[in-house]
Amino acid sequence: MSRRVFSVPTFTATATADHATTLANGTYMGLSAIAAANRAEISEVYLGGQSAASNVNIMMLARHQTIAVTLAALAAPNSDGPLDGLTQVITSAVRGFVGATTPPTRSVGTTEARLNMTYNSFGGIVRWLAAPGSEWKITGITTLVSESSVSGFTGGGSGVMGGHIIYEQM
Amino acid sequence: MKSKSRFEGYLMVDHRASPGIPEDVARAAGRDPRFSGEGKLFEAATMTCWHCQNIVVLNPERRRARAYCPKCDNYICDGCEALRQMPGYVHVSMEQLSDAIIESATKGTPLGSSLELLNQPKIFVP
Repeated sequence: MSRRVFSVPTFTATATADHATTLANGTYMGLSAIAAANRAEISEVYLGGQSAASNVNIMMLARHQTIAVTLAALAAPNSDGPLDGLTQVITSAVRGFVGATTPPTRSVGTTEARLNMTYNSFGGIVRWLAAPGSEWKITGITTLVSESSVSGFTGGGSGVMGGHIIYEQM
Repeated sequence: MKSKSRFEGYLMVDHRASPGIPEDVARAAGRDPRFSGEGKLFEAATMTCWHCQNIVVLNPERRRARAYCPKCDNYICDGCEALRQMPGYVHVSMEQLSDAIIESATKGTPLGSSLELLNQPKIFVP
C-alpha cells in the first residue's frame, strides 16, 4: 500500500531482559500491526548514537512475547508517516509507538527472529537493510508475529540515540 | 542467471567516529572483532530465514553449506534446519503462517483470540 517511516529523533535505550520485564515506555521503538488483517514489512532499521560518552548498547530488533495494550499516540518530535505525501489515508494503519498503558515484553523464544544491532552509541551508527522479499514481517493481532520493537538488551548501557524504521503496510 | 544472493540484506555498523565495542561484545554479537573497534567499519550481508525470519549475519569464512529448504526454495537458519531434520516435522514457512493469520482474521476467527477459545468444538462423551 504505502511505504512509511517511523522516526524517533532521540530516546534513551535501557537494558531490559527478555520477557521477564516489560519494556519501559520511551526506551524502545515499537511497531504494531494494530488489526487482525493487517500486515507490515520492515525493510530498514537505522540507529544513530547520540551519547556524550562511550556507551555500548546491545540493541535488538525482536518480536514481542506480550503485546502492548492501549498504545499511546506519538508526540512530537516522534513521527510515523508515508514516504509519499500523496498516499491515501489508511483506515486501520499499522503504527509505530514508544509508549503504552501496558508496555510490551520482548520475546524470549530461541526460535523467534531477532537482529542483534550492538554498537557504541557514542558516535556509532548501525543500519540494516532487507533484501526485497526478505523483509521483517508483522502480521495480525496474534502475539509474537504481530508486534516488534528495537530495544536495549541486558548487558548494554543506557545510551542516547535516534533512529528510524522504514516499513510498508501491505 | 538468478542466484540466492539476491535475497541478501545488508548490515552496517559504523564506528569510524566512535570508540567501538570491546572484542568480547563483538564476538557475542557474532561479529568479527577486527572490524568492530575504534575507527572501524563493519559491513556484512545478511540472510533472512524463510521459516522463522531470523536474520543471520553471514560469515564469509564459513565452509559448511548453508541450510536450504527445497519447499521454500530458499536458505534457512541452522536452528530451523535442525527442526526440519526431526521426524514428524511439518513444514510451515513464515509466509504460510502470515497468510493463515490474515485468512482466519478475514473469516472472523483471529488466531489466538478469546473468540477462538470460546468457540471450541464440543465433545460429547456417551
